[in-house]
Amino acid sequence: MATIPLASAEAGAERARLGMWLFLATEAMFFGPLFFGYVHSRLADSAAFASGSHHMHFWLGTINTAVLLTSSFTMAISVHGKERIRGTLGLTFVLGAAFLLIKGYEYGSEIPEVLAAKGAEQVFYLLYFAMTGLHAIHLLIGLGLVAWLFLSAHGRRAGTPVEIVGLYWHFVDAVWLFLYPMFYLLERYSA
Amino acid sequence: MLYAAAITTFFFVGGAAATLIRLELATPASDLVSAETYNKLFTIHGVIMVWFFLIPSIPAVLGNFLVPLMVGAKDMAFPRLNLASWYLYVLGGIFTVATLLAGGVDTGWTFYTPYSTMFSNGAVLLAVCGVFVVGFSSILTGLNIIVTVHRLRAPGLTWFRLPLFVWANYATSLILLLATPVLAMTLVLVALERFFYVGVFDPSRGGDPLLFQHLFWFYSHPAVYIMVLPAMGVASEIIPCFARRPVFGYRFMAYAILAIASIGFLVWGHHMFVSGQSLYAGLVFSLLSFLVAIPSAIKVFNWTATLYKGSITFSAPMLYALGFVGLFTIGGMTGLFLASIALDVHLTDTYFVIAHFHYIMVGGSVMCYLGGIHFWWPKISGRMYPEGWGRAGALLIFFGFNLTFFPQYLLGWLGMPRRYHEYPPELQLLNVFSSAGAVVLALGYLLPLGYLGWSLFFGRKAPDNPWGATGLEWQTASPPPKHNFRDIPEVHAGPYGYDPAR
Amino acid sequence: MKTLVLVWVALLALLAATAASSFVPLGGWNSAINLAISCAKALLVAIFFMHLRHAGALLRLVAVAALLWLGILFGLSSADFGARTISPAPWSLRY
Ligand SMILES: [Cu+2]
Repeated sequence: MATIPLASAEAGAERARLGMWLFLATEAMFFGPLFFGYVHSRLADSAAFASGSHHMHFWLGTINTAVLLTSSFTMAISVHGKERIRGTLGLTFVLGAAFLLIKGYEYGSEIPEVLAAKGAEQVFYLLYFAMTGLHAIHLLIGLGLVAWLFLSAHGRRAGTPVEIVGLYWHFVDAVWLFLYPMFYLLERYSA
Repeated sequence: MLYAAAITTFFFVGGAAATLIRLELATPASDLVSAETYNKLFTIHGVIMVWFFLIPSIPAVLGNFLVPLMVGAKDMAFPRLNLASWYLYVLGGIFTVATLLAGGVDTGWTFYTPYSTMFSNGAVLLAVCGVFVVGFSSILTGLNIIVTVHRLRAPGLTWFRLPLFVWANYATSLILLLATPVLAMTLVLVALERFFYVGVFDPSRGGDPLLFQHLFWFYSHPAVYIMVLPAMGVASEIIPCFARRPVFGYRFMAYAILAIASIGFLVWGHHMFVSGQSLYAGLVFSLLSFLVAIPSAIKVFNWTATLYKGSITFSAPMLYALGFVGLFTIGGMTGLFLASIALDVHLTDTYFVIAHFHYIMVGGSVMCYLGGIHFWWPKISGRMYPEGWGRAGALLIFFGFNLTFFPQYLLGWLGMPRRYHEYPPELQLLNVFSSAGAVVLALGYLLPLGYLGWSLFFGRKAPDNPWGATGLEWQTASPPPKHNFRDIPEVHAGPYGYDPAR
Repeated sequence: MKTLVLVWVALLALLAATAASSFVPLGGWNSAINLAISCAKALLVAIFFMHLRHAGALLRLVAVAALLWLGILFGLSSADFGARTISPAPWSLRY
């Protein structure tokens, strides 16, 4: 296996890439107990989970998924592009912020139902808030990183920092891809 | 070096708690501390020793210093991340000290639910925060070590030319990365459950306490390997050096490290044999637990085979390393008792378990941490430690350790349960032995603190390679210059080029 | 660039499919379909947006290792929950 000399820029990029992927692996394990807690609790009482899911805003959730997917798309274009990536970076930021605003509105409108919940439905809501909340925190960090790219010289042309932030952004997007059906789509037909 | 200072502090705080525990247990009755204080003592002893001493000890103190030296790199892959990890450690430590000031916790280091979430009146949230934060400190250390080993090896340094210490720290880092986040999130769930009064882990509210145990032990069994694998790495450096023989079966040693790290993830259910876990799952976990014994035994055999026909010097690091091999063997063999379901039902939550894991964690990790500190002390500080004192300290610790913990095997066999502050009078003799041993052990640990501190200022100046050891770290100055090496070294051979004739 | 657009369109199409499928009562298959579509979407993101297609063996290994270890957590824990005899306490809300 060839060893790369320490100083070159490509070596730095390689290190950063490996570091970010390792970090994402720990992130996946970090979400792990929540996902397993969800599977276990839902198998124990699927009726409570279905009725909890019926309180979710189906359309807002679906639109939000589309928004987030599109933000990943614009992020991918930024990484792919050579020059003038400010436009797509800015668009990524706007889409990410829109996601959080919609999510915030959902949270606000769900509070009365949450307070009325009992038993296993409470567990559903705890997992819902823990998982989407943790996801939102990650997205918020992502927004900060994108804003930093946009404002700094990195926004002028694609390079390693854009690529690394991109990896993180896509990972956060991928987590949501699982959360969406887990919370919004349970037994929709009987709602 | 910042790490060394912080970790030593916590070691002595945790040790003070342990001393108090043993003093209380010197007599059958409850006289020194109350039951509640006793619960808080063993909790804080466990929390501090596990997360603030054993886990970061070798990877963070020795690993951060030695891994770049051993792979011939100027520094770790991400030096600033390294500093961030230290700050997180201190932040976690502040939370833990705050826990103490707020009155302590009484849940045991395992934070079992639903007691920790619904009933305990201690400062559970603060303690959980401390462990959560220090977990991220370990994760960053692990990430840094892995990237360093992958990307910064010197020219010619192939994987099978890496010293076993690097292999061990690499495998440990993998565990840190894959297991620690699970613990972190599980503790978040405990905190949420406690805070919002919703029962993910509470059966009376639609939850399941065994879910907690599964998630907790998914981390906490591999955590044992986080503590003992680096110790194995240290022993694998010291033993060939003072036996003047190359490590026997180098490749098998490396494979065994990886095997222990990965099989270690499949056995956590052996902590739950009597928890109401499915009997069939228990069976599987029991069998898998026996499997870990194979690579562990390979390592013990290979260390002894390394000694065979060697010309052995019984220096202080060597005494620690040999002590480690012996104590680890006893700890490992008694682990097999506990991995058998039928015996474990009798021995669960007795002093047998306590003795077993102290043989592994203290007899294993602490012995090698101290051995490593002595072995690399000249390299770290640029000074020699006083050899006579060093040997005396090593022997005193070995003696004190066995006096403390061997009687606990017998106590456990007789059925004395853990975590009680009183016991029937017929068990007093063995308890007195154990408590006396604890005092000897405490003195033994104070001894190195004294003479190592002394040598920092008055010790003889160390040459670059006082032990005539191979390994890249000995080819640079003591202490190493800012970028470790003046020229990046090139490597043409394996790590243990020792010749018994010399 | 063209692949990125195609992937984006595919992702949105899969989103429509998963959302629509949830209105058709299929019993346990609803969850299976949702899970499969989520995995497909995540794979698309990982392979094309996160460049796993062009990444070296090491990065792929890291990605697979994370999934494998999650598999261990899920697999061995379920081995218990799937095979357990349950003896609930009288006051338990469960079962
Ligand atoms: Cu274990």
